[in-house]
Amino acid sequence: MASTRNIKIQTEAKRLLQEKAVDVVIGFKKGTLPYKMQPCFIHDAKEVEQLELNGLCSNNLAVYLNHRPKGEKTAIVVRGCESRVVQALVLENRHARENLYLIGVPCIGILDLQKLQADEQDPILAVEEEGDQVRVTYRSGEKTFKRIEILHDACLHCNHPQPMHADMVIDEPGYFEDQPYEKSYLDSFRKLSIEKRNARFKEEAERCIRCYACREACPMCTCEECFVNHSRPQWTDSTTNPAGQQAWHIIRAFHQAGRCVSCGACERACPMNIKMTYLTDLLNQDIFTEYGFEPGVDEALLPPFLTLGDDQVKFTDQQEDNHAG
Amino acid sequence: MQAKWISKKDLQKLVAKWVKKYAVYAPVYNGKELAFQIVEKPAQIVLDDYLNTRYPAKSLILPQSEVLMKYDGILHGVENAEKEKIILGIRSCDARAMRLLDHALIDDQNPDEYWKRKRDSAIIFTLGCNEPEETCFCTAVGGSPFGTNESDGLLIDMGDAYCIYLMTEKGKVLFKDLPDADEAQLKNVKKMTKQVEKDMPALLPKQELHDALMASFETDFWKDVSQSCLGCGVCTFLCPSCFCFDIVDETVRKERVRNWDTCMFRTYSLEASGHNPRPTKAERTRQRVMHKFAYWVDLIDEIGCTGCGRCVKYCPVNIDIREIAATALQQDFEGMKK
Amino acid sequence: MKNKKPSIILFQCQYCLASMQDQYWVEHELPANVKLVKVPCSGRIDPMYILNAVQGGADGIIVCGCMPEKCHYKEGNLHARRTLSEFRNFLSSLGYPQERFIFHWMNIDERAVIQPLIAEFEEHLETLKPQTLLKTRTFSQEGS
Repeated sequence: MASTRNIKIQTEAKRLLQEKAVDVVIGFKKGTLPYKMQPCFIHDAKEVEQLELNGLCSNNLAVYLNHRPKGEKTAIVVRGCESRVVQALVLENRHARENLYLIGVPCIGILDLQKLQADEQDPILAVEEEGDQVRVTYRSGEKTFKRIEILHDACLHCNHPQPMHADMVIDEPGYFEDQPYEKSYLDSFRKLSIEKRNARFKEEAERCIRCYACREACPMCTCEECFVNHSRPQWTDSTTNPAGQQAWHIIRAFHQAGRCVSCGACERACPMNIKMTYLTDLLNQDIFTEYGFEPGVDEALLPPFLTLGDDQVKFTDQQEDNHAG
Repeated sequence: MQAKWISKKDLQKLVAKWVKKYAVYAPVYNGKELAFQIVEKPAQIVLDDYLNTRYPAKSLILPQSEVLMKYDGILHGVENAEKEKIILGIRSCDARAMRLLDHALIDDQNPDEYWKRKRDSAIIFTLGCNEPEETCFCTAVGGSPFGTNESDGLLIDMGDAYCIYLMTEKGKVLFKDLPDADEAQLKNVKKMTKQVEKDMPALLPKQELHDALMASFETDFWKDVSQSCLGCGVCTFLCPSCFCFDIVDETVRKERVRNWDTCMFRTYSLEASGHNPRPTKAERTRQRVMHKFAYWVDLIDEIGCTGCGRCVKYCPVNIDIREIAATALQQDFEGMKK
Repeated sequence: MKNKKPSIILFQCQYCLASMQDQYWVEHELPANVKLVKVPCSGRIDPMYILNAVQGGADGIIVCGCMPEKCHYKEGNLHARRTLSEFRNFLSSLGYPQERFIFHWMNIDERAVIQPLIAEFEEHLETLKPQTLLKTRTFSQEGS
């Protein structure tokens, strides 16, 4: 029972492979578990029928661009967040845009396994999506959710679900519309006292087991060598103690300032269910306020930490006040 | 092997007694998830309707980060005294993993003192799985949801009571005042366990799988398998039978610590010269799978995976070790040489 | 413990102090509670340095660099200004208040400014409640 969305993706993938326009199509296929989808790499036009896209596709496919051989002609199925990653990476000169073919799909949102599985000891046997409804079969029985109830937080706060800069867009409605930048969910965090904010941060960060699934799932984490793997100098504790755990979360987030596209793949990859997109969103919100910059949206605008803009003029003109205190 | 019978209420009373003398670890809901923690009140313990903890029970004996010594001009050892502990309610897959780890960490000449000390001071009671999860495959790798040769005792949930098989002296002492289970009760237990085992996956052909994997070593099979791997440490950190560690000098805190390490990281096999014998994800994934399904078989003629299913369930990209094993068994590697 | 002076880490760009006397004072006559981290340019100050100071229990942090057009490396100071001021915001949302982390961009004609700056900052820190929110690591006695 393939949906028309899947058929359209498959048709496009087939065309690309048959015309030899690309070497590989990156998409999702059915996984071995009823609640997981597997990223897949299709080289042969005969295999395109595996391609599927639904709310269980929790990864950000653009991460694989960093793993693939350079120069390979790649087609990739992109939702809003993935398309913005590609744009951001192209701007950072990570990939050549002409080697990439983006099959855009208006996003239908990603389901949050944590919300689906409120009771972890009650395994999920099947998930069926039908428009606005999601029917989940648990061992203890069946339950129907409204899609909006179980979408991942990152998707609920997403303001660009429509694919951008794509080479073609699948003609199917998405689940959301584009919206102006607004992360008002952060207000409640910002209003807390400093002790409470710190407590919230600690509670999340200190469950970290340093498996770095967040780093590996993140398409924007492209460093050859991560700061936590350095031993000379050793930047931070590699031990699972508060110092190391907190340093990892602070610096990981900071390296994403003005780069993170808020896809939430890090959170969905985390085996310990640690919340972390709020950290990058805090930074991105500051950057949006200060520089009006949104990662991956504009085709030419460099991220604020890669450029200096007109700072030279700005600060010289201002008859500088030292902002002490 | 002794078999005893105890009602759930009585077990709680017994645990209340143990708590005074031992450090009792059991699955406790910590606000976010189930985890093995020191029990203060027996009522906290979750033994009903629980599948398994997310974080592996091996951490009780091989903590993720363990301080080996401190130095401050002079060396300081760390506290030697270990309070005797009871680990109650771990699953037989995790218990079997501990036995496997004994092989890895203890030999006659050079036992790992840190592991041995903690291991010797622990009394382990397994809880049989009446309703294993869909990701469980202990029977496929030579275990059983009711494995008896892995721990000091095995509890089997029989509705309002537990049937307890006691395998060691350490275990027997703790339950010595209890009545033996009678014939009819034992028969019921047998019937139930048989039924559960029957519904579990079939045993993998150990030797055949070993040979298939050995033949696959140089082929592109691993490239295909690892294509979607992200290279994170979820599978190995949550694995109950992975034991690799890395010893680090935390210079600022003046401690020497050992931390879990994983063969899935690039830096794991990176040599000082800059050469990396396992340069890509393909070699690293191969190492993980072959260690479990081939090298362990060479060493002790047992599969090193215990089938807990954590790596299957928590892998962010759904790489399924069961699928890899099944594919390897079917594949003809002769025609596939690189 | 009560009347212990607040520990301060001073990150200083090696070009920012125009006068030799000031540089000498910073390198040799700093009060014991102030540690100097001298860097080739304020642009070299990685947020990780700051975080290490914070986690090590620094009560206050001063970053000293050159005025915008006076950077020896053209624009390192501008880079520092962008990243570090954002890092300061970020730390303040996680538990290290902004008032404990100050910048001072030195002008070429400034003489003997650094001494009162440190003294004032120290005075200000003494009025604040001690903070340990992000202090997760014992402070290395060797300092700089």
